[in-house]
Amino acid sequence: MEEILEKVKKIQEKFSPFITIAEKVEFGKGKLSGIAISVKDNICTKGMRTTAGSKILENYVPPFDASVVEKCKREGAFIIGKTAMDEFGFGTFSTNCAFSIPKNPYDLKRSCGGSSGGAACLAAVADFPHIAIAESTGGSISCPASFCGVVGLTPTYGRVSRWGLIDYANSLDKIGCISKTVEDVALLLSVIAGPDEFDSTVLNLPKEDFTRYLIEDVKNVRIGVPKEYFEVDEKIAKIVWDGIKILESNGANYGEISLPSTKYALYSYYIIAMAEASTNLAKFCGMRYGLELELKGNFDEYFSKVRGIGFGEEAKRRIILGTFARMAGFRDAYYLKALKVRTKIIQEFKQAFKKFDVLIAPTMPIVAPKFEEIEKLEPIEQYMMDVLTVAPNLAGIPHISIPCGFLNGLPVGMHIIANHFQEGKALRVAYTFEKVKR
Amino acid sequence: MKVKIGLEIHVHINTKSKLFCSCPTNYENAEPNELTCPICLGFPGSKPKVNKKVIDSALMVAKALNCEIARETFFSRKNYFYPDMAKNFQITQYEIPLAKNGFLEINEKKIRIRRVHVEEDPAKLIHVGGDITSAKYVLVDYNRSGIPLLEIVTEPDFESTKEVREFLSKLVSILEHLEIYDASREAALRVDANISIEGGEKVELKNITGFANVEKALNYEIVRQQNLKKMGLVVERETRHFDSQTKSTVSLRKKEFEEDYGYIFEPDLTKIEISENWLKEIEKKMPELPDMKIRRFVEIYGISEREAKIIVYTGKAFADFFEECSKLYKNFGNVAKWMVVDLLKCLNWNKISIKESKVTPRSFVELLELIDSGKITQRTAKEIIKEFVATGKSPKEIVKEKGLSVLREDEKLKEIVEKVVKENKKVVEDYLKGNEKALNFLIGLALKKSKMKADPKKARELILKIIQ
Repeated sequence: MEEILEKVKKIQEKFSPFITIAEKVEFGKGKLSGIAISVKDNICTKGMRTTAGSKILENYVPPFDASVVEKCKREGAFIIGKTAMDEFGFGTFSTNCAFSIPKNPYDLKRSCGGSSGGAACLAAVADFPHIAIAESTGGSISCPASFCGVVGLTPTYGRVSRWGLIDYANSLDKIGCISKTVEDVALLLSVIAGPDEFDSTVLNLPKEDFTRYLIEDVKNVRIGVPKEYFEVDEKIAKIVWDGIKILESNGANYGEISLPSTKYALYSYYIIAMAEASTNLAKFCGMRYGLELELKGNFDEYFSKVRGIGFGEEAKRRIILGTFARMAGFRDAYYLKALKVRTKIIQEFKQAFKKFDVLIAPTMPIVAPKFEEIEKLEPIEQYMMDVLTVAPNLAGIPHISIPCGFLNGLPVGMHIIANHFQEGKALRVAYTFEKVKR
Repeated sequence: MKVKIGLEIHVHINTKSKLFCSCPTNYENAEPNELTCPICLGFPGSKPKVNKKVIDSALMVAKALNCEIARETFFSRKNYFYPDMAKNFQITQYEIPLAKNGFLEINEKKIRIRRVHVEEDPAKLIHVGGDITSAKYVLVDYNRSGIPLLEIVTEPDFESTKEVREFLSKLVSILEHLEIYDASREAALRVDANISIEGGEKVELKNITGFANVEKALNYEIVRQQNLKKMGLVVERETRHFDSQTKSTVSLRKKEFEEDYGYIFEPDLTKIEISENWLKEIEKKMPELPDMKIRRFVEIYGISEREAKIIVYTGKAFADFFEECSKLYKNFGNVAKWMVVDLLKCLNWNKISIKESKVTPRSFVELLELIDSGKITQRTAKEIIKEFVATGKSPKEIVKEKGLSVLREDEKLKEIVEKVVKENKKVVEDYLKGNEKALNFLIGLALKKSKMKADPKKARELILKIIQ
């Protein structure tokens, strides 16, 4: 037990993936016995500080566990700590964290990706059994998995209960897993997925053992290659194509497909996400929990001051933009329009999955950037980084990012995307690729 | 001047648990903030969960108000910042309410119901050291946060406060019969009113609590607006608050524009499909509504419409009491008469409902039988009612204890009468001279001496016998 905490201390010193580290470690019995589970800091852990990466929750200790945390505890896991993230999920590089900013294990001057940066970082460097619980709204599991060279699984929306997840955008948030191997993420998903009476949006599907999809066989698997997704750096495109070819040589076949609505996905995503986020963040006003100040002035003055101090710049930006998109006169043109675009994107995917079992594309258009490069980016340039991950996230379809190669010593991720409820197909392809790519 | 009034009525739905969590709703007996959980406190990570019984109740009301019921309904977030908001948005219904386009008839006029929907109540604010405009600070009690509310919005069809009063009486009676509304609960009914005169600007009166205050507030406001007009001034479009101490309306804020609540659909809740089966189940569960009950009482029990109305509108428990009594005793008119006047008077005076009192149908019927058999006088009966409302003792017991039996052929009465006559020779003379009133005086004395137990008729008889 002490060993693990020692290792964790060293990891934290070098890479800073944690916001909070557990004070003690308790071993239990079950499917996750002996496995350290790290939890992204926007998921509530009873008695353990949960900040969502924000100053406004700097000292917040939840009075209840998120459903996923409860489920892990019941299966004998121990919670090793809370991992660093962009405040409330607002970011692609985990640089919007009010506490630690995790550093890329392949180059300490580079970002781990985001917003689940801490989770992916720890998954990459942990030298003890560990699986990370992470969360994705627009790609926050896939992006850091890609940048850190680990496996990131984002399940179908509604697979995993969001009870205890501090909301970014309720219709987009999904809890998922990051680890070194496909087997690990399949195991953890089996534990955390399933019906839950506290979340009305959870599907009423029976519990499943996702490890049964870990079969090394892709014969006759039909891979769709969406051409819009390959308009990236040609070196990255080539690395992913090489991966597809490996799968082909193992019996899969591929075909090109066009998803024309892809170019609208980013805008639709950000409008919906920000609109929902602006309502979700309204509850933080210096009452009942979180940052509080001296009670002075009227309510408006008080809560404005608390929020002014507690929220980071990106949070403020998204609240303002999200509120604007919902205002009378703009609501139809922005929020409602974005919802319609979303429906179109879902329909396009549905059509694609009539012809193909999975779609494969690069996860990110770039490899991990340097912190100094990120500082120079305009907000909109940052948002553009999500261009490949937002569409599957909007549609709520499951996707896995798996390491596929290196560019200049930095990991490149391959995105395997499947239809709603078809995690099994994606897992099988990912597992096979993991085995055969050597 | 012509008056136009529209109402927005908020009623607490009487379910055991709140609308979006399983916290209990009996806030009267609880310490502040005792009936709370992460959901109704708006803790980060919490999510709402719909209490189906609330929808059942809402559907019953929608049916009773003759509304069109939606096939699919959604919840929305209404976003604004206020200290009584646990999440700084209220989960309500905006785009697609549960029901719409209904009506309620009052005296041959149809008041149109624009919509009926479900929403959560915010917390309770306690203004310390003043009221909403003058308090030093505010305390927040979240016991009320998340209580299920029914919002009923009417078209501005009211043309007088009398119509408003009739409408509210009827509505409250319906809600009470559906067992959705409990009049004894504090703040269970709140009314917002929109009022304008002669096509002028609309003034909104917010959060008037309780029936009686609605009429007062409206009357005051009508006069205020009329006065402004008479002086040639313009009525401004604004929101006002009714001060129940001064019985006047006070300006809260000027309404230059409609508040923009930035509605989105509540993404943590899925749509509610209202199937034919569900509606059929609701129909089966619908209890008898007040109008039907009034008609039935008139037809089957033969009581007057006036009495039937009073019995039914007093409350379902009162109406049930009538029916229970009518099972045991067949002079229904008598039951009605005694309930509507003396029993009701007594309950009101003690400020309790029939349920809270100790009277039972059996004891009430016993009383009526005692009167019928002549064992007690009407006056005595009234005294007995006062007693058994408070103690629940049976009338026979009370009569025995207090010795209230009618004095008729009793020796005692003869004694009393003889005494009265002896002690009031002058009055007797007056009577013999032709003064009728003198006789009444003597009877009165006798009654008094008998502690009101004497039968006046018998006393008169005896007195005359002795005198002549």
